[in-house]
Amino acid sequence: MKLAAIDARVKLLLLALLSTLALTMKQPAALAALLVLTMVALLFGGVAPVKIWRQTRMILSLIGLLFLLQCLFDRGGEPLLIIGGLTIVTGGGLQAGLVVGLRLLIVVASALLALTGETRDYLLALRWLHLPWEVCYMVQAALRFIPLLRQEAQDTAAAQQMRGCDLKNASWRQRARLYITMLVPITVGALQRAEAMSISMEARAFRSRPGRTSWRRLQMKRDDWLYGLGFVFVLVIIFFVFK
Amino acid sequence: MIEVDKLNFTYPGVPRPVLAGISVCFQAGGITALIGPNGCGKTTLSKLLVGLLRPDSGTIRIDGEDIAGLSLFQIGSRIGYLWQNPNRQLFAPTVEQEIGFGLANRGVTAEEIAADTEYWLDFFHLSHKKGALPLRLSLGEKQRLALGAVLALRPPYLVLDEPTGGLDRRCRRELGQLLRRLAEEQGCGILVVSHEKEFIRQYADREVELL
Ligand SMILES: Nc1ncnc2c1ncn2[C@@H]1O[C@H](COP(=O)(O)OP(=O)(O)OP(=O)(O)O)[C@@H](O)[C@H]1O
Ligand SMILES: [Mg+2]
Repeated sequence: MKLAAIDARVKLLLLALLSTLALTMKQPAALAALLVLTMVALLFGGVAPVKIWRQTRMILSLIGLLFLLQCLFDRGGEPLLIIGGLTIVTGGGLQAGLVVGLRLLIVVASALLALTGETRDYLLALRWLHLPWEVCYMVQAALRFIPLLRQEAQDTAAAQQMRGCDLKNASWRQRARLYITMLVPITVGALQRAEAMSISMEARAFRSRPGRTSWRRLQMKRDDWLYGLGFVFVLVIIFFVFK
Repeated sequence: MIEVDKLNFTYPGVPRPVLAGISVCFQAGGITALIGPNGCGKTTLSKLLVGLLRPDSGTIRIDGEDIAGLSLFQIGSRIGYLWQNPNRQLFAPTVEQEIGFGLANRGVTAEEIAADTEYWLDFFHLSHKKGALPLRLSLGEKQRLALGAVLALRPPYLVLDEPTGGLDRRCRRELGQLLRRLAEEQGCGILVVSHEKEFIRQYADREVELL
């Protein structure tokens, strides 16, 4: 079933449920089940595998790092890996590592699920929740700026490399330092843009009247109900099986 | 020499290719102007030349070496690139450090960095802004700073996307004269994307028009 066609409210609900479950459940098997479910929904919902991979790749090193840290510092359970009489990894550590990694993956996958379809539908979904129009609009604008911010970060990284900074072969410390220096200009740039945008919007009569109507209406169709209920049903099963 | 051979490029998600079958050659030791109407793909071509974008097909060679196998870091040691929008390449906390960034990466000694930085700050009339945050400069000042940061590395090739953007007459003239000196005295190969007929007529050896 194409995810893009499904009502934005259903997808927002699924996003909320999936991430709540991901953060409350503790068994790796339960989390794996959630991840598989979300992945199946993505793949059958018409999200290109390349896209999934591209989004996940960025946080893969973060997941790896957290996994390692959890493995090393969680000391519960049976020792699994002992080197020279020193327990390196324990059962509890491995489990904690898996849990953290799976949770992050689920959050990313469910965000991908929610981000299919048109942004203006999400605007309508937020309106449906009775959030003020200005707030909804700002959320939408912020979402639209994410790719832009990413492009900017990429450009900055490219400029640094072209001016003699070998990011590919840099040590962790050098990288961390560069990322921190990038934070200042990116934040300043974002603030400057936000300021310019708000002025430009008000200059074009944003907020001159309360609220706004929309020609487009969100309409729950039979498929939306079926999809949402079916998905929630599977989530409930996972919840009770692993409770 | 930078050789471009049968280059094709399409932006992802855009139906029509921006560049199709482009072949052109840019010599060392001369200034080539790349001209053409808005949106014809000048910036796209310049980004391809320095590896910021990768072509769908076709090759780009710098002095005979295919850039497909080079990292941005390696390309950066051969070509200095100026973004059309100076905001894209300013990231240091101060004007001074912006210019020194590349030199510091090259392992130049602190005294030399200080001397070079001073030279470029002076050349682009930015000495009084030494400690300022680059993103708080005026547009023309940002443009000069970005130029200074690129030129300080003295790369053998320069690809400058609208370097005269936002510059006043005097700065334009000084930049043009500097580019001529770099081309003639140091054999630097320079590609300038520009809409300014006057600037091109005065300083460029050759024009390439993209349609
Ligand atoms: N990131 C992008 N994604 C999709 N299309 C793009 C992207 N960047 C540029 N384009 C399109 O490619 C075409 C060429 O853009 P380009 O920036 O190379 O033009 P240009 O010749 O530099 O124009 P100008 O004189 O305005 O600087 C334009 O039609 C533009 O809309
Ligand atoms: Mg351009």
